[in-house]
Amino acid sequence: AVLAVFSVTMASAANTNLNAVRETMDVLLEISRLLNTGLDMESLSICVRLCEQGINPEALSAVIKELRKASETLKV
Amino acid sequence: MANLDQKSPNVLLQSLCCRITGKSEAEVAHQFQYAVRVIGSNYAPTIERDEFLVSEKIKKELLRQRREADAALFSELHRKLQTQAVLKHRWSVLYLLLSLSEDPRKPSSRVGNYGTLFAQALPRDAHSTPFYCTRPQSLALSYGDRGAGLSGSVGTSGISSLGVYTLNGPTPPPPPLLAGQPSQSAAAVSQMLGSRLAWALPTSSSPSAVLAPPTTRPPLGPQVPTIRPVRPRRDGDAAGEVNEAALVRDILYVFQGIDGKFIKMSAQDNGYKIDSKVVLCKSLRDTSSRLSELGWLHNKVRKYTDARTLDRAFGLVGQSFCASLHQELKEYYRLLSVLHSQLQVEDEQGVSMCTESSLTLRRLLVWMYDPKVRLKTLAALVDYCQGRKGGELASAVHAYGKTGDPQMRALVQHILSLVSHPILNFLYRWIYDGELEDTYHEFFVASDPNVKTDRLWHDKYSLRKSMIPSFITMDQARKVLLIGKSINFLHQVCHDRTPPGKITPASKPADTPKDAAELLSDLEGAFQEKIDAAYFDTSKYLLDVLNRNYLLLEHLQAMRRYLLLGQGDFIRHLMDLLKPELARPATTLYQHNLTGILETAVRATNAQFDNAEILKRLDVRLLEVSPGDTGWDVFSLDYHVDGPIATVFTRECMGHYLRVFNFLWRAKRMEYTLTDIWKGHMCNAKLLKTMPELSGVLHQCHILASEMVHFIHQMQYYITFEVLECSWDELWNKVQQAQDLDHIIAAHDVFLDTIISRCLLDNNSRSLLNQLRAIFDQIIEFQNAQDSLYRSALEELTLRLQFEEKKRQREEEGEWGVTAEQEAEEKRRIQEFQDTIPKMRSQLRILTHFYQSIVQQFLVLLMTSTDESLRFLSFRLDFNEHYRAREPRLRASLGATRGRRLSNI
Repeated sequence: AVLAVFSVTMASAANTNLNAVRETMDVLLEISRLLNTGLDMESLSICVRLCEQGINPEALSAVIKELRKASETLKV
Repeated sequence: MANLDQKSPNVLLQSLCCRITGKSEAEVAHQFQYAVRVIGSNYAPTIERDEFLVSEKIKKELLRQRREADAALFSELHRKLQTQAVLKHRWSVLYLLLSLSEDPRKPSSRVGNYGTLFAQALPRDAHSTPFYCTRPQSLALSYGDRGAGLSGSVGTSGISSLGVYTLNGPTPPPPPLLAGQPSQSAAAVSQMLGSRLAWALPTSSSPSAVLAPPTTRPPLGPQVPTIRPVRPRRDGDAAGEVNEAALVRDILYVFQGIDGKFIKMSAQDNGYKIDSKVVLCKSLRDTSSRLSELGWLHNKVRKYTDARTLDRAFGLVGQSFCASLHQELKEYYRLLSVLHSQLQVEDEQGVSMCTESSLTLRRLLVWMYDPKVRLKTLAALVDYCQGRKGGELASAVHAYGKTGDPQMRALVQHILSLVSHPILNFLYRWIYDGELEDTYHEFFVASDPNVKTDRLWHDKYSLRKSMIPSFITMDQARKVLLIGKSINFLHQVCHDRTPPGKITPASKPADTPKDAAELLSDLEGAFQEKIDAAYFDTSKYLLDVLNRNYLLLEHLQAMRRYLLLGQGDFIRHLMDLLKPELARPATTLYQHNLTGILETAVRATNAQFDNAEILKRLDVRLLEVSPGDTGWDVFSLDYHVDGPIATVFTRECMGHYLRVFNFLWRAKRMEYTLTDIWKGHMCNAKLLKTMPELSGVLHQCHILASEMVHFIHQMQYYITFEVLECSWDELWNKVQQAQDLDHIIAAHDVFLDTIISRCLLDNNSRSLLNQLRAIFDQIIEFQNAQDSLYRSALEELTLRLQFEEKKRQREEEGEWGVTAEQEAEEKRRIQEFQDTIPKMRSQLRILTHFYQSIVQQFLVLLMTSTDESLRFLSFRLDFNEHYRAREPRLRASLGATRGRRLSNI
């Protein structure tokens, strides 16, 4: 894989990077589906971005749960 | 994530809110504010940033939901994620996903799990001992009602409580719940159990968290994960009384052998003592002392196993003993972990729960009663088995099994089956393959590596009596030794390479400890049968090989025929041929001459039809020459043995055979000498009838000769019939019926011993033997005297005949028959001759007297001998009481011995 990265041009390097990101997101979506978290792709990407920026995942999960509950009560 | 937009967290957060709630931005303002506050307040995570841990948790969760395929899938995905290396904070993403994950099953079932978990039995291990499964049921009693009471709402409620309780929120406590325990072996088991409990616990603990007002709790900073629950303990102040919960916690530590806060191990009392500074009410003090006994017992057992695992020379039996102790300890640790987790639960439940069904010292007493008994047994075993190893250790454990208490007996039987498993393995290898690989000297068969193959049967293998386990009897042990010895003998000495499988139908050896346990329970039956079967088959095979390939029985018979003078015609011919040779002085004899004569004798008699194998072993041996020896003193036959037969005919045996041969040969020689004398008598009596003055002398000779003939005749009869034939018959019977080689060797030894003692060759009969030798010497003397007498007589006879012949001749010629001086000369010569006669007569008389005195002494000694047959010999020798009439001692001794004999009977 390393050799593959070196052998392409800068443009395609960017391409592969984008591919890698897409793959990662796919994997994460798969995992999230396995774990039955109920997150769709967009929410998942937002969460991932937040985590990457250093947000505490515990807090974030608490927030999400609270939001969900709130949305339920609001619906009802 | 370099290619995505670098939005600020707030923006992201807002869009997330919108997304999840599905409303527009304006409507989610309230939630957004809340989210910001939460995230802002709790920035640093309170748990370990360990990706591996998180992924393990995820897998466990999936497995718990019985989705093994999904768990495998997750592992795949996780691996992919790791290889891609795009994310920087993988662990936080995973953690997030994990915490958001929902069980597809109903959420309310999670609480029910709690009670049912305890209601399940702990898994029954193959090695687990019988009585632990009852434990959790008793625990379930107190928790069943709890489980029912907690079927309330699952999620969190109040906002403000959230900030503090994220730690104990939906996230599970970390796996090192019970990390404080020292035993690594128990950690895996307790981890599994602990995590199972852990999954169940927090979901039920979170509602209770709601009940307590949050403000009384101090805020928590980031904490290192410990097993201590979150709330500060109510240990009480140092000045006040220690309350029970704290004591319980301490006790739980003491159970594992760790010093608690108040109860410490005191070396000089060798026990756990409560710190004297601590204020405790008496009942609590007593109860905790009783409970800390368990810690002491645990320490003892633990110390033993730890010390023994380091000991390299401990051997297989000892190692299995330690392994079984280890298992027991594992069970014990399991129980402790259950108790620990209960304690955990309580602490998290809060004050309101503690009065109903918490862990008190009393409860501990009740629950730990059975484990205490078991630990006591184990500790007693450990004490008893100190310093033992191998078969001794098995005997020690077996001794402990003889108890009436069924629990203890079951426990000890279990340990015994594990412990004896290596011994039984050794045993089976030994009796089926003849191999002995016993580096630590634990088995009761010992092999001496210094012994060479020719002494293999007698010396190489021996019983190590101390290592015989007490459940194997001495008889069985001897049989076992014999079986393996036979196999090795076959392989090495007989060079018989049939695989042991052919000798005995191979039965399944004890492969598992379960087999060993079965065998032990039926020692009288199955085990004995196995050993007996192996014994019969192996011994029979060995005897077959010996008889077929090595002609053992033929050799035995050959010994009888040649060394014990059984083949009469051969012996007679040999003696005839050897007579002129052996009369010469010993130093002039050459072995090859004698061997040649031997060959001639063999060819000329029935011996030539014997097996060539036997004939080639027959040889002549010349004994050591002392000065003055004639050939008769140094001649001996010899029989060469080698290979497996040498096991039966050992060097000592051959030595015995040669001594007996010597004795028999001499006796035979006497017989021949007397035969010659008798021949001489018969021939010369007629011739010497013309000399009437010799008749007196000749008469004396005849009498003496017949006395000697009678004596020797009786001796020969005794030797041949009473000694040799009877013993040989016994030997032959025993050999035919022998079941193994040891029997043959024993019977053969008995045979030789009997012969030697009856032939007066053993140490007790030395005086008798000397007498006999003296008698034999006298016979030779007599022969010499007789020869000289006859020579002179015959010479005289020839001279007289010559004289008469001359007279007659001269008369025929017409001269005077004899001149006066010739006649005078003749008369003078005759007179001279007749003067020598009295000398001869007196010589003979002396000889006779001497001979008779020796014989009388011999008879006296015979009378007083201890051997029955010798006494009977004395009867036969003196059947007409001829000697008794002469010898007053004989009369006296007869009476004395008769009295003694009566007392013997």
